[in-house]
Parts: sequence; C-alpha cells; structure tokens
Amino acid sequence: MPEYKYHELGDLAKEAPKLFGIPTGTKLDEMFFKIEEEDGALVKKPLGGLPYLSVFNISGIPDTGKSLFAEQFAAYQASKGYKVLFVTVESPANFLYSAIKEKCKALSLDFDEVEKNIVVIDASEEEELRENPKALMETMAYAIKEKKITNVIIDSITGLYEHKEVMARQIVRQFFNFLKKWRQTGLFVSQKRSAQASESVEAAGGLAVAHIVDGTIVVDKKLIMSQREASLYKKPIGDVIRLIRIDGCRLSGHDSRTWVFEITELGIVNIIAPLAEYIRR
Amino acid sequence: MEIITKAKGGNVDEMAEKVFMESIRILGGLKKLVEYRNLTWLPSLAEAAYVIVLRNETIKTYREIAETLGITEQTAKNIATADEEKVKSYIMEGGERPNEHIAGGIAKLAYKTLKQKGELEKIEIKEEEVEALGIDWAVHVLAAIKGMDFPAEKEALKERLHEMKIMGKDAEEILEKIEYPVKSPAELLHKIKEKLHD
Repeated sequence: MPEYKYHELGDLAKEAPKLFGIPTGTKLDEMFFKIEEEDGALVKKPLGGLPYLSVFNISGIPDTGKSLFAEQFAAYQASKGYKVLFVTVESPANFLYSAIKEKCKALSLDFDEVEKNIVVIDASEEEELRENPKALMETMAYAIKEKKITNVIIDSITGLYEHKEVMARQIVRQFFNFLKKWRQTGLFVSQKRSAQASESVEAAGGLAVAHIVDGTIVVDKKLIMSQREASLYKKPIGDVIRLIRIDGCRLSGHDSRTWVFEITELGIVNIIAPLAEYIRR
Repeated sequence: MEIITKAKGGNVDEMAEKVFMESIRILGGLKKLVEYRNLTWLPSLAEAAYVIVLRNETIKTYREIAETLGITEQTAKNIATADEEKVKSYIMEGGERPNEHIAGGIAKLAYKTLKQKGELEKIEIKEEEVEALGIDWAVHVLAAIKGMDFPAEKEALKERLHEMKIMGKDAEEILEKIEYPVKSPAELLHKIKEKLHD
C-alpha cells in the first residue's frame, strides 16, 4: 500500500513559524499586524515588518520604486546585522553596490556593516544563472548555507522568465518553494506591463503568480494631468502621485488601504499617509 | 559586499577528485610518479585540488577554505594564485624552479582542462533516473558481463545474460539476432539497442 504523508494539525505546532516582523525600514512595517490578547480583550499590534519567513512580491510598472524599496530593505536588514542575499537579474552588481552605498548615506546607515552583510549573486551578466533556475538555486543554496543568509531578494523574478512567460508560474513556484525550504524571508521584484491596470489581478505580478507568493505589495504612480486631479491631490499638473498598497497577505493581518508615498531626491521610499487621509488634508 | 558572478554548485568532493586525477595525468600518470619516486607530491596535489575547486566552485573565502582543509590562509592563497603557465613550462621544460606553488599551478591547469572539456560538472546519472529513462537495462547488462573478454561470442554472452529480460524481451532471444563476434561492451549495448527498436 502506498504511504501517504499527512499531519494531524496539532503535530504541526512545533514546526509553525513564529509570527513577527522583519523590518523594511519604511512605514510598511506598521501596515502588517497581528492580534494579541491584552487584559482579556483582543488588540491589534503592529508586526513591525514583513512577516518572518514570508515570501512577498513587490509589483509595479517601471519607475514606481520597486527596486529602490528592495535595496532599502536589503540595506536596512544588513545594517541590523542580518545577512541578505541580493540576486540581481537586471542591474549589474557594481551598479547595485553604488546604489546601496548611496542609500546608506541617505538613511545614515553604517555602510561598512551593510557591505559586510550583503552577498550579491550577479545574474545580470551571467546567462547560465539567468536562464537555468537550477543553476541559480544551487548557487543561492551555497550562499545561504555558507553565509548564513536569512533574507533573500530577487530583483527581478520577471527577469528569470522574460521571453518565456508561459513558464512564469512554474519558475515563481520553484523559487517560492526554494525559499520556504531554506527558511528565508523573501522579496521578489515583479515587473508589471504598463498596459495592465493597477487594480487588475495582473497588477499583482501577472499570470496568476500572486496566488503562489504569500502576498503582494503593489506600487503605482499616477501623472496629474487635470485641474481636478491637481486640486484633489494638492499637487501641480505634471507632478506624479505615488501609491502603495498591500494586496493580500496570507500570514498576517494587514492594512488594506492605498497609501501615498514619495521617492525622495536621494532615492528613499517614504510612505506618507493613507490616500483618503492625504486627500482630506 | 561579496559578489558572485558564476554559477556554483555540484559535488565538491567529486570535482576535487577529478582535478586530482587530472593533475596526476598532467604529470605523466601515476606510473611516472612512482618511477621518479615523486609519490610525496600526492598529498600536496590533493590539497591543491581541493583549494582550486573550493575557490572556483563555491563561495568560500580563503579563510574558510583554510579552515575547511586545516591549512593556513597563506597556503590557500598561494595555491589559488599560483601562475600555472610558469609551472607548466617548469614541468615540461625544466629550468629554474619558479617561485610559485607547484602543486597549485598543476591543479589549476587540471581544473582548467576539465572545465574546458566540460568534464568537471558532467552529470552522473543516478539509479532512479536511469530507470526513469528506461535505460537501466544497460546497467544490468554491463554488470552481468563484467570481467568478460572481448571480442565475445554468442555462447559466452548467453551464459552471462541468461534469464535476463531487456525491456520485456528475453535477452537470449535478442542475442540470437545480433552479429558476432561482438568487439566491445559498448558495441554489445549498441547492437542490443538496435534490436530493441526493430
């Protein structure tokens, strides 16, 4: 008789990950929460970051701050002494180095500490790493094992299936499972075609990849082109308003509102306020 | 910030063994080493093979390599940075001994040769994969004819392969159909394969 693997729910208690946040260094950290009992009442407590061991997509059209967010997360975690693996598929590693160095200056983070704690896999220039998921995963496994990595960023996951989009789900699934197996908190940068509306399912990564990951952060921008929009958003015509929202999270509670954020001149993601509040100001 | 630009992975021990064997081949084979009483080189070669594989195929630092192998960091560095061309001309043409780690240079030459031929990462097919591919019969045939003299005749082969089934067919039946003598184990597999597809 074949042997089937099953668990009694109670047996999984020891294996279940603890629920706490991995800070990103942005206000997003306050947008995830958990429910705790306090004096007999249930209260909502901020998680303080992305849920530990979760794998998130950050999705958006070009120039919406996806990579900036990912770099900020990497720098922030590394500055706290946590080892980060940054798989760069788009930008060559030397450019990433400069970007993170600048970010540290702007955020007053200790670059020496950050530099020590980030390991980069440069798949942007090495075809084998970009085209062969198995080779990339083996390389990542080495880095995770030998450098004691706890957080993994892939910028971008889309770059691993460009020109073969039918493979999208399969590739995302493989990397998702890989990060789960190696007990990593992960962030996938996912590029969205500009033709896909921000409220559509494609906004969350396209091709149903959002169903695979634990949750999606959607970033978007809107060019202010009418007087009405100008007075609504209190910005001059021609300016850009940037929006961010958490589009589902299966590991913890989360703020489901759309928030306004800015990218400062120094390339820092600064989340300001919920859109509704921002308009009322 | 450590930057990894090449794919890493594979079995380090297996790769180091291959580099070690190739290093011996470069030196003219084990027999030459025995003849010239140079067997004392073997430990250095083994060590160098490991350093080169760990340095190129994993993302270990010199310090980590040194700790893994129980050598000093400086030795690991000397091995990995040995000028293989200088070592090569010293081995081939003699002359003044270069100020390089000789075993390191040889291991580097061996590593490069294997890498170029694509033999370092050659995938060893595992048993279950062999079965999944439907080519496990070849393994069983090779095991059954181990030690046989080739060219081989029908009777000798039948003796070894009797009662064996190859993809559902009787081996003896297949052996009836092929031409003799069979020159080598490879030719035997080839001929069996032809008959399987007939």
